[in-house]
Amino acid sequence: MNATRIAIDYSKCGEVGKIDPRKCGKCLKICDPAVFLMHQPLHTQQDPFDPQVWRITAVWLSLCTRCMKCVNACPEKAITVSW
Amino acid sequence: MCEWCMKHGAGKKWYLNAKNYSDELARELEAEAYLTEQWRNFEQVFIRKIAGFSSIGLGYKLRMPLIGRVLRWNAEKMIHSESRNRDPIRADGHFGQVIPLEDARIILSELAAEPIIENYCMCRWMQRNVKDVCCINFGVLSGVIEKLPRFVPEGMQHLDREKAMNRLTEHNEKGYVATVWFQPVPYINAICSCESPECGGLRLRKDFGLHSVYKAEYVILLDPDKCQGCKSCVTMCQFGAIRYIPSLKRVIVDYNACFGCGLCRHACIHDALKLIPREDFPGLRGMY
Repeated sequence: MNATRIAIDYSKCGEVGKIDPRKCGKCLKICDPAVFLMHQPLHTQQDPFDPQVWRITAVWLSLCTRCMKCVNACPEKAITVSW
Repeated sequence: MCEWCMKHGAGKKWYLNAKNYSDELARELEAEAYLTEQWRNFEQVFIRKIAGFSSIGLGYKLRMPLIGRVLRWNAEKMIHSESRNRDPIRADGHFGQVIPLEDARIILSELAAEPIIENYCMCRWMQRNVKDVCCINFGVLSGVIEKLPRFVPEGMQHLDREKAMNRLTEHNEKGYVATVWFQPVPYINAICSCESPECGGLRLRKDFGLHSVYKAEYVILLDPDKCQGCKSCVTMCQFGAIRYIPSLKRVIVDYNACFGCGLCRHACIHDALKLIPREDFPGLRGMY
C-alpha cells in the first residue's frame, strides 16, 4: 500500500494573521488515531518560553485510515490527504 | 527485575529508590538546565530531524529494510541514553513505566521531592489541543514548568502530599493510567495520568514497539468464580487487554496486552480482579 501523505496549507492555517490552531484544533480532535500534532514552527523567532505562533503537522501518518474526517472538519479547507 | 531496577533500584524497583528523587542527583545531572531545554521545545521533538530522520511517518520509516532496523536501534539508544552528552531537545534519557495507584501513592507520600505541582498535560495539548490538569511533577521540574505559561493552570499552587495523592487517585479512578518518568535517567520527577493514543510515550510503545514506557511490575489476575460478566472492566482498559467471552459468561485477560496499570479494578464491584507481580507467571517474567 502506498504511504499516506497529509499536507496542510500554512497560508490558511498556522501563520501570523491566519487561523490560530490553538483556537481551532478541529482536526486534532476529530482524528481518532490522533495523527496530527500541534507545535511551534521549527525556525520561527519567538519568545522561547511563551511562543504565540503554532502550526499543525500530520506526524503519525502510518496510522491514518484515510477516513477524510479531518478534510471535512477543517473550516479553511487547508488539509489535503493523498496516497 | 528489569535492567533499570538493577542499575538504579538499589535492590528495589527503580522508582522506589529515594536517591533517584534527590536534589543532589538533580544538581549532579544539571537537571534544571536540561529540563528547561527539554520542556521549552517538547512539542517539537517529533518534528525535528534526529540523525537525519524526523518522526513524521515513523511507522513507514521503521518498516524500511535495514534503515528501519538502524532507526529503531538509534531511537532505543536515545530514549535510554545515560551518556554525558545527551541532548535535551531530543528528550534523550526520558522514559517511564506504568505503575498501579498503590505504588504511585508511595511515591507521592514518601519519595517525591518538593515542590509538587499539577500542570496541564503536554501530550493532550499537542495531540488534541486539550488542556487537562493531570500531570503531577516534582523536584526541579516544578520550577521549570512554572516558567512556561502554556502548561500553567490559573492559580497553580504547590500541592501538599495528601492533595497530590487525592488528585492522582481521582485521575486513576477516572480511567487515566499512572506512569512514572525518568527525565533524564536516573532522575525521577513526574507522575503522569496518561491516555492512549494521546500520550507520546504510550504512542511510541503501543504503535511502534519502542520502549519509551515499560509495562508495570504487575499483571492483572481475574478470579473466574467471582466474575459476573458485567463487562464494566472492559471499558476501563486503555490497552484492549480485557474481552468478554459470551460462551464463558465472563471476561478473559490478554496477558500480552496487559500493562498492569490496575485501572480495571476500579470498575469491578465483585472483587474479581487483583494485581499480582508479573514475575509470578514464568511466561511473563522480564516481559516489560
